[in-house]
Amino acid sequence: MDDARRGAIEDFLRAASGDPALRITGAALLSGGAIQQNWALDVVLHGAPEAWVLRTDNAATLAVSLPRAAEYALLRAARAADVTVPEPLFLCKDPAIAGAPFFVMRRVAGIAAGHRVVKSATLGGGRDALARALGQELARIHSIKPPRADLGFLGAAPADAGLAFITAQRAALDRQSRPRPALEWGLRHMERTAPSPVPTRLTHNDFRTGNIMVDEAGITAVLDWEFAGWGDPAADLGWLCARCWRFGNVAQEAGGIGPREALYAGYGDVDDARVRWWELGAHIRWATIAIDQAERHISGVETSLELALTGHMVPELELQVLRMVETAHA
Amino acid sequence: MHEPPDAANLLETARALLLAELLPALPEAQKMNARMIANAIAIAARAARDNSTFPTPPEADLIRAGAYDPGTPGHDAAVAMLMDIARARCAVSSPRALDD
Repeated sequence: MDDARRGAIEDFLRAASGDPALRITGAALLSGGAIQQNWALDVVLHGAPEAWVLRTDNAATLAVSLPRAAEYALLRAARAADVTVPEPLFLCKDPAIAGAPFFVMRRVAGIAAGHRVVKSATLGGGRDALARALGQELARIHSIKPPRADLGFLGAAPADAGLAFITAQRAALDRQSRPRPALEWGLRHMERTAPSPVPTRLTHNDFRTGNIMVDEAGITAVLDWEFAGWGDPAADLGWLCARCWRFGNVAQEAGGIGPREALYAGYGDVDDARVRWWELGAHIRWATIAIDQAERHISGVETSLELALTGHMVPELELQVLRMVETAHA
Repeated sequence: MHEPPDAANLLETARALLLAELLPALPEAQKMNARMIANAIAIAARAARDNSTFPTPPEADLIRAGAYDPGTPGHDAAVAMLMDIARARCAVSSPRALDD
């Protein structure tokens, strides 16, 4: 972050916080995702030190991700529903200040890195307790019902979230240059076996190991709300349980963290067959995202070894999709 | 004819040097980049050694339309072919997936 940008952000925060003496004493780029940038801001507010995070977009962003203003509104709605999220503090819609719209939230301590979280038997109070807590967080998220004026950017809730998912995934495949028969195989199976629709709720749509920050005591933050929408709550449970998001710890079916039964117990009423249907969808969706990410590298929009390697995850996902369909037929 | 050692050999040798000598000497912040580079080289080396020939898979539009649904005459052959192709693709991109 150069001095001019830092100064402009400082000016904005002085006005937004009502403290004309606010100072940014440190700004460090945190390990961010492919889509957004996160900066750790150390701030002195009314004479006292504060630890904040500034969240903004990379130049090239996925078309399907929500802009920062929307993510800020989601954090506010989630916090009001007792979901464990970082407290949202200030939103700046003006792209001139930091190069892109941004918001500031309170910095939360903990570990999110998936490969570390799944290796620990003690984080979050232990595997059983953490899986249970994940279920409780999801249940709170799913207590948020449409319509909501403050979440109007999410659009109308789909009448049938499952069929809407299949349509969206097929559209994503149709945008690509090469056919993906293995993913088509999975989508056709989903279409033939689709469960009847349920009333939609707010779904996080990226609620998985790696996006949940934890410490020794429990969950400290549910992160990365940019894919949220109105959907079938079972989709979130399926995404979390999908084998491809267990970070190699496949025996612990709730995200590589803990037992599926503990997750379900924490959540409450769960239709297991519906979750399994969405679990297949999770592999297909991750594959289409990976294809899109690789295409950003291949097309030259964003040259990145990380994006290039993400593309090479697709064959494994295709194999898993085929295996899941065969298991369902058996 | 190209001069030996061939592309796969060069890539494998370079990867071994990266992992054995460079990676331990790198600062922590760069180790993940080095591991990604090692992974990319491994995929490229496997691709260079690979001589798979791929059959023409069932058409995506036909799968979508239900032409290969369970109970149709083409179902079993189609799924067997898709599995074979997926395994051959994994052999280059992520061979560990074949162990499951």
